[in-house]
Formats: sequence, structure tokens, C-alpha cells
Amino acid sequence: MATELGTISFGPSSLRWGGSVNKIFLLSLANIRKSKGSAVSISIMFLISAMLLNIGLLIFVNFGSFFTKTTNELNTSNVYYLMSSSLYNDQVEAYINNNENVLNTQKEDSFWVSAQTKYNDNVRAGFFLLNDANKPRNMSKWKFIGAHLPTDEMSIYLPYLYQLDGGYKLNDEFEMILKEERFTFTIKGFIEDAYFSSAETGLLGLYLPHETYQKVTSELSDTNRATLIFANLKKVNKEVETGIKNLTQAEDLSSSSDFTNALFSLDLSLVKLSRIMMASIVSVMVIAFSAIISAVCLFAVRFRIGNSIEDDTTKIGALKAIGYTSGQIILSVVIQFISIAFVGSIIGILLSYLTTPALSDVFAQQSGLKWVQGFDLAISCISLFIILLIVTNVAAIAARRISKLNPIVALRGGITTHSFRKNHIPLSTAKGSLSIVLAIKSMLQNIKQSIMIGVIITAVTFASTFAVVMFYNTAIDNTAFAETPGLEISDIMTILKADTDPRQFIDNIRKMDDVRKAQFIDEAKVDIDNNSVSVYIMDDYSTKETNSVYEGRYPLHSNEIVIAGHFADMIDKTIGDRVTVKVGDTEDNYLITGLSQGANMGGMNASITRDGLLKLSPGFKQQTLQIYLNEGTNTGEYVKTIERLYDAQLLVTIDMDQQMQIGMGAYISIVSKIGVAILIVTIAVVILILYFVISSSVIRRKRELGIYKAIGFTTPQLMHQLSLSFLPPILLGVVIGSIIGITQTNAIMSVAQRSMGIMKASYIITPVYIALFGVCIVIISYLTSMLITSPIRKISAYAQVTE
Amino acid sequence: MSNIVLSTSKLCKTFSSGGIQQHVLKNLDIEIYDGDFTVIMGSSGAGKSTLLYALSGMDKPTLGTIRFLDTELTKLSNDKLAVFRRLNCGFIFQQMFLLDNMSILDNILVSGLLVSKDRKAVSARAKELLTQVGLDESIWRKFPAQLSGGEAQRAAIVRALINEPKIVFADEPTGSLNSTAGNTALDVLTEVNNKGQNIIMVTHDLKSARRGKRILYMRDGVIHGVCELGRYVSGDRARHDKLRSFLLEMGW
Repeated sequence: MATELGTISFGPSSLRWGGSVNKIFLLSLANIRKSKGSAVSISIMFLISAMLLNIGLLIFVNFGSFFTKTTNELNTSNVYYLMSSSLYNDQVEAYINNNENVLNTQKEDSFWVSAQTKYNDNVRAGFFLLNDANKPRNMSKWKFIGAHLPTDEMSIYLPYLYQLDGGYKLNDEFEMILKEERFTFTIKGFIEDAYFSSAETGLLGLYLPHETYQKVTSELSDTNRATLIFANLKKVNKEVETGIKNLTQAEDLSSSSDFTNALFSLDLSLVKLSRIMMASIVSVMVIAFSAIISAVCLFAVRFRIGNSIEDDTTKIGALKAIGYTSGQIILSVVIQFISIAFVGSIIGILLSYLTTPALSDVFAQQSGLKWVQGFDLAISCISLFIILLIVTNVAAIAARRISKLNPIVALRGGITTHSFRKNHIPLSTAKGSLSIVLAIKSMLQNIKQSIMIGVIITAVTFASTFAVVMFYNTAIDNTAFAETPGLEISDIMTILKADTDPRQFIDNIRKMDDVRKAQFIDEAKVDIDNNSVSVYIMDDYSTKETNSVYEGRYPLHSNEIVIAGHFADMIDKTIGDRVTVKVGDTEDNYLITGLSQGANMGGMNASITRDGLLKLSPGFKQQTLQIYLNEGTNTGEYVKTIERLYDAQLLVTIDMDQQMQIGMGAYISIVSKIGVAILIVTIAVVILILYFVISSSVIRRKRELGIYKAIGFTTPQLMHQLSLSFLPPILLGVVIGSIIGITQTNAIMSVAQRSMGIMKASYIITPVYIALFGVCIVIISYLTSMLITSPIRKISAYAQVTE
Repeated sequence: MSNIVLSTSKLCKTFSSGGIQQHVLKNLDIEIYDGDFTVIMGSSGAGKSTLLYALSGMDKPTLGTIRFLDTELTKLSNDKLAVFRRLNCGFIFQQMFLLDNMSILDNILVSGLLVSKDRKAVSARAKELLTQVGLDESIWRKFPAQLSGGEAQRAAIVRALINEPKIVFADEPTGSLNSTAGNTALDVLTEVNNKGQNIIMVTHDLKSARRGKRILYMRDGVIHGVCELGRYVSGDRARHDKLRSFLLEMGW
């Protein structure tokens, strides 16, 4: 006996295990060939899912290890101390060399400057460390990225960031504007090192060939002379830094009046955290989105299996009749979808490697490091394994129905599978146009399919709402994005010289035209319960523009303190508890009145009143003035005016509007690009899922559509009617997805950014934009549906009634 | 003589398969008169159904023209032909082709509401017609799969008549029915024709053919003979004999 099934024939030999396995594979292949369109669309969805999963895993696993590999390659020390050379003396040297916690060190003379440089079309102000490129280093080395050129007079090697994001290339001129000097260099190479490759962690390192170094530093004052000590510690802690501070009475760079009394220290773990933080967030976002797409794929697989069981009931009956077991038939279905997922996933995984150079560039904007990701067999296999494992399970569960099919019932076409129980919305009583009523009838008759579409659209709309929020908060209005890390949003920040009278100065500024407000917000390093913490100091927190306290309130009295939520978790303290704050040898207890968020010092920050700090540091003097201008005032011009009027009293004046845009640039660029990518993938998934469902629906309803045509329905009418039948679940999915997105995005971002010290994200949620995007999804869905239903045109009424 | 409702001129239909051409209709010139009950007979493969569906605008001829009153159907697009069908034609098929996922009443209304927006009037007419063909209210809410063949065919007839079409095309309407159900269906068609609607019916069945006023006998894609029977009168023996001898003459 031989039974024809599609293009496969089954004979007695099929029943032998080896033969039947072969036949099962052929049967799976025949099924794929039979429904090429849906196989391709499911395969593309798996492609997207596998691509995203692999990208996410590559970043998650490898970006951190890449940083470690780079630091190993460059033999980066686990801490460095940078101080004014005037502070470094034999006593300090002896202290460091004799400290039991210090394993080995390398000392280097360099210069630190506060300067402005051109960065793209903007001017970037910041601290730079000028190093002699010809001085050999055994630890914390640097290396060239790409080609470098022979040097000439006034050559310079810049951090890789300047090539990637700053708009520079080899042989370009690079100008540094210092307070009293201006240097013009020619770029001869781009480099990377672990500590000074990004301004995110304090200073940017510039490397000058020896002759240039000599020439430039000869024109700098002694106040710029610095001593850089790289050290490997047995146990990385603040002990050595505190020891140096005690010996030298040095201040932090941020709070010192000039470089002469400043000390800056950084350990590698903090640098690593800063360099890989954005990559970690991105990887979590990408993996989460991949999970959503995978869920969509699995819905599609389940739907397809359900359909094919209904369509091929007779064939399944024939197989059972000739002796195939349910297990063997189920296996053929599982193999069919494993094959589809395998092909899609392999292509997706391979494509993911094409995206890594672009991602590397994006991350380099923040980290300043060039991440080169080659093919990673282990991660690729893990991505493939995860997807295939899930597909196998879902396909096996969906195909279980086959075992319940009685062969006789199946051979008769599965009468039990086609029973209409209810005539939804009788036409005799229904109101509205015929097309709409028929569309709703169709939707209700295919309720499982409608629910599936609704769930899928809910998931992708939620993802896209999240992306819209991220895009809006980065590309359109980045106020909340800037505020979320706890930054105060002022227009101008000035740092006063140590001898400037802050009261007099602030009074003068307040009297100026177009100054809306001026207030001091200083920052200092203190120890809280034996942890080094950056503390903000203000007279009156009620005048602060950015509210970073997400629980409780800002301190009102001198014995009150607000600590960052991240830090509070670390020391297991909360509102109402007391902490010991120490500056030098003076300490006092403070009551925690609130928990704040903020990425400063990796979430290790706090806020106290000026009176509160004065108890510990009576000599504290306010120096950092935030100036807020009236709307519409040209900040750049105002900075010049302030500099012109008060130059002698000021250490530095910074255009915060501009700095904010530059500083946020890397984050904004990354997040907005991810947002756009998610939006594009969302639209692609909506189109794919509609193609998949509608095309199979058109094929399955060929006879019905033929009858409609015979009785006088036109093709556009039927296309419209079928497209309309998919709109209600799409509309519902869009509404539910949007609501979840609107209400949950900040909650999700709070969890995702917790490690950054952001405990309560407050991104601007714009229902109008989200609604507009929802409308776009609905319109695109309708237009796509109309396009996909166009094969109805080829359905001939004549062919259907004469078949 | 009555007006011509439907006419063809040099109508040809050729099917091509695997490079082989099969000429199913060959230069047919036919005229269908208003109020006619035309029966198309012939052996299998003679081109009966092909002619029926070409005349109804459901299929397009290869050559020649089909004219319905002042409209040349062969010049219309598929969508315009669909509109033509909904306004002027009713169809009764051997397999009924009711929509499985709708109740019987909805099957009829879906056709009726395509032409008229007056839901109440269409609904009332559908119920009246259903009652006329012997389908009581207990049937209306049922699905096609829950009906007997005769009941389903009567429902299909009601669907064909709901828009009071100018012409009802019937393709073997009794082919899958038992004798009683077949007679009922034919009675309905006769009554409809008596009220002035045109019927064009393809059949193999002598009993069905007897209902026609004019018999067109096809062979090899051409009209081989025509027999004028006149208005159907039940029990008219002479009419029966005339048809019989015509068919014998045609080699049926």
C-alpha cells in the first residue's frame, strides 16, 4: 500500500525506523515547500530575534571582558593618583612606597590643564592631561588605534574618541585654548588607554611627542605641573588616597580653587563601570526586545501549526491509517519548525556580526575604546540553542493535538474541527456598513487568531512605546534625560577663585540683566559610614531646579542629609536612620531625610546643607555658582560678558547649555539610535506578522472569497473587508500596548538604571507622540493588510464554483 | 417577439494546457429573450457550464462579445462585472456554495445587503422568500452544514432571488438533490420565471429540462439544435414527448 501525501509517498518501508526517519524529514521539507510564504515570514522573524539576542549576548558578555582584555593588554594599574607636583614630595613618595597595600607603582611627570577644544562644531571645555608620548611606561600603557604618521613640530596624538565622534582625522589641526595660551597641533595619531580615553571619568589624556611636549610645557606655568602615579594595590580602597590627602592637605580637583592643591584619584573598577554601563543597559534592552520578538515568533509557530493541523487533517488521517504513530507525525511538525527557526537564526546570528562595528562606534562615543568583536562561536551557539530549545518545546506542545485525532475522523476531513457554533452579529439586526459588519463577524469567527494578533501587537506596541519615549527624551526634549542622573540644569556654571568673596559675587550676578536666578551648588568628598561619597552642598534646596529626591525630602537643617538610594541600599540605611559623616578628623551624625537618585560617583552621592558641612569643615567656602538665565537669552554671549566683567574673580566659566548637549551627546546618540532601531524592527514585525496571518487566511478562505465574488462582491470590497477584520485586535493591541508603555516605561527604566544610581526614572511620557505612533501602526497595518490581501484579485469566482 | 436581454456574437472560449489548446466554445451567436426559461443541455464536455458562466460574466470569453441589454459585458473589468452580477444576476450552483460560517438567513442577507441598504426590507423579503420555498424559521438560524441537501439548495435559490435579478443562472440545480427536493427547487424556478424573471439553466436531467421554454442543445462547443417548448404546464404529455424526440434527434 502506498499513499500519496503532498510530494511524498509512504509505503510499508516507511514503517521501518531508519526509513521513517528519512520520510519524516522529507515530510517536514514538503510541508515547508507547501507553505513557502509563511515559512519565509516566520524565518525572517526568527532572523530578527536571533540577531537581537546574539547582539545582546555579545555586548552583555563580551563588552565587559573586552575592557578587561584591553586593560590587561595595556597592563593598566588598578588605581592612579594624580596630584599637583607642588604636593608631591619625598614624604608622599615614601608613604606610597612603604605602604603595605601598594604592590608596585610607576611615577610620571605630566601637565594638567583646563582648556577648550573644538569638538565637531562645538567647543568642549574640560580637564586634559598632557603626557610625553616618548616616556616609556610599564603599566597603564597606551596604544595607537589605526595608522599613525611621522611627527613634526607641534604634533599630537588624540584619544580615539576625537576621530570617531569629534570630527577629526589624521593631519587635521587641533587647537587647545587655555586661559592665557593657545596651542595649535597637527594630529598624527589616535590612541586609547584605559583611564584617559573618555571625559566621562574626569580627564582626557593627550599624548605629545617629546619635542612638542617640551615646547608646550615650557609655556605652561608650574601650577599645571602634575605628578601621575599608577599603582597596583593589594586591596583596592581609599586608604592610600586618604593618606596622601592627610599628608598634603590636598583637595579634590572639582572643589579646588586651582591645580596647585588638587588631587585626583580613580580606580579601575569605577572606570570599568563607567565605560561599560551604557553597553550593559543597551544589551539588556536588546535582549528584552529579542525576547518580545521571540514570543511573537512562538505565537506565529503555534498559529501555523494549529492551521496546518486543520488544513491537513485528511493527510494526517492517511498517515495514521498506514501506521505512522502520532509521535512520528508530531516529530515531522517539530522538525519542520526547527528547520525554519534554524535557517532564520543562523542568518540572524551571522548578520548580528555585521552590526557590531556600528555598535562598537556607538559605544566608543561613551567609552572612548574601540571594541572589535570577532565571531564568537560559544555565544552564537548559545543564541541558537536558546531559540531552538524554545521552538522545539512550543512546536511539540502545539502539535500534541495530532495525537488526539482519530484516524477515521481525520480521513473524513476532521468534521470535529470545523464546527461553527454561533452566528455572531446576525446581519438582520446588525447596524453599520456591510463591510464593517462582515469584518467583525470574520474577526469573531477567528477569535483565537484575533487574540493572537492582539497579543502580538500589544507586545510590539509596548516595545515601540518604550522606544518612542526614549527617542523623545533624547532627540526632542532631553531635559528629563539630563535630569535623571541628578544633574542640576542651569545655563552657566562659574567656579570662583579661592580669594573671591562668594556673597559679593552672587549679589553682583543677581543684579545682572536676564539673570533669573543664581545659587551655589558645591560638591565635596566626604566619608559616610566609612565610604567615600561625593556630597552636594546648598544653602536652600527648595530653590534647586532639579528634584532628585524620589522619596522623602531634601535636608532643611544642618543635622539632616539626603543620600542616594543606591548608596542607601549598600549601607542598608533608609529615611529616619542616622549616618556618620566625616571630613578629615571631624565627624558628626546626620539624620537621613530623603533618598535621592543620581549617577554621580556611580550612585555614591549625598546632599547636605551648607551649615551641615560647615560643622565638619569650618573653612568650607562656596565656589561653584549656578546661573539661570531668562528664556531666550544667548548663553554663549552671556558667558563672554561674565568673563569680561569678572575675569579676575573667576577660575572657569562654563556654558552649561552647550556642555550639556555635548556631554549628553554620547548617551543621546546611543539611546536615540536604539529607539529608532526598535521602531523599525517593530514596524517590520507588524508587517511580517500581518503578512504571515493574512496570506494564510486568504489561502484558507479561497472558496469563501470565490463565493463572495460570485454573488457580486468586488475585489477592493473583499480586500477592505478582510483588512478591516484584522483592525479591531490591532487597535486593541495598540491601545493596551500604549497604556502599558505609558504607565510602565519609567518603572522599567528605574529597574534597568538602578545600578547607575537612578532609582526613579522620570522620563517625559508624551501621550500625543505615543498616540501618533499608535495611529501610525494602525494605518500601516491597514495599508499592509490591503497590500497583502491583493492576491484576492487572482481568486476567480469561476474557478471556485467549477472546481 | 420579446426583447433580447442577453446576446452573444462569435463567442469563443479556448483553454490552454501544456501547450494544447481546447476550443470549448466556437463562434456562438445566441439570443436570450426577456421572460425566457432557457435550458442548456448537451453531453459532458460540450461547453454548457462554460457558456453559462461566460454569459453571467463570471468568466471571460477568449473572443467575441456578450451583450446584456445595452452593456457589452466583454468590455467590463472584473470589478465592474462583479457589480453587474450583484445587480442583474442570481446564481444557483449544484454544490450550493453557501458560506459555511454564516447562518442561512445571513447567507441570503449578505447578498441582499450588497444591493440595498434597507436592512429591514431586505430582511423581510428574505424571510418571505424562505417561507415561500418551505424553509421555516427554525432553519433560518442554522448553518449550511446543519441542513439537508434540499434545504440548502432552496436556501441557495432564495439567495439567488433576493435581489430580484433580471436573470437567474442555474448550474445543475437539482444535481445533488433527491427527487422530491429537486421538484421543489424546479417549482420555485418555474414560479419565478412565470413572474417574469429570466432563467438560464444547465442540466443533464430530462425532468428539469422539461421546465424550460427553450432548449439549446450543445455539442463540441456549438449549438447543435434548438427546441421551443413554450410555457411549462404540469402533466403536459405532448411537451414531454417533444423534448424526448428532440433529444433523441440530438443523439442525447
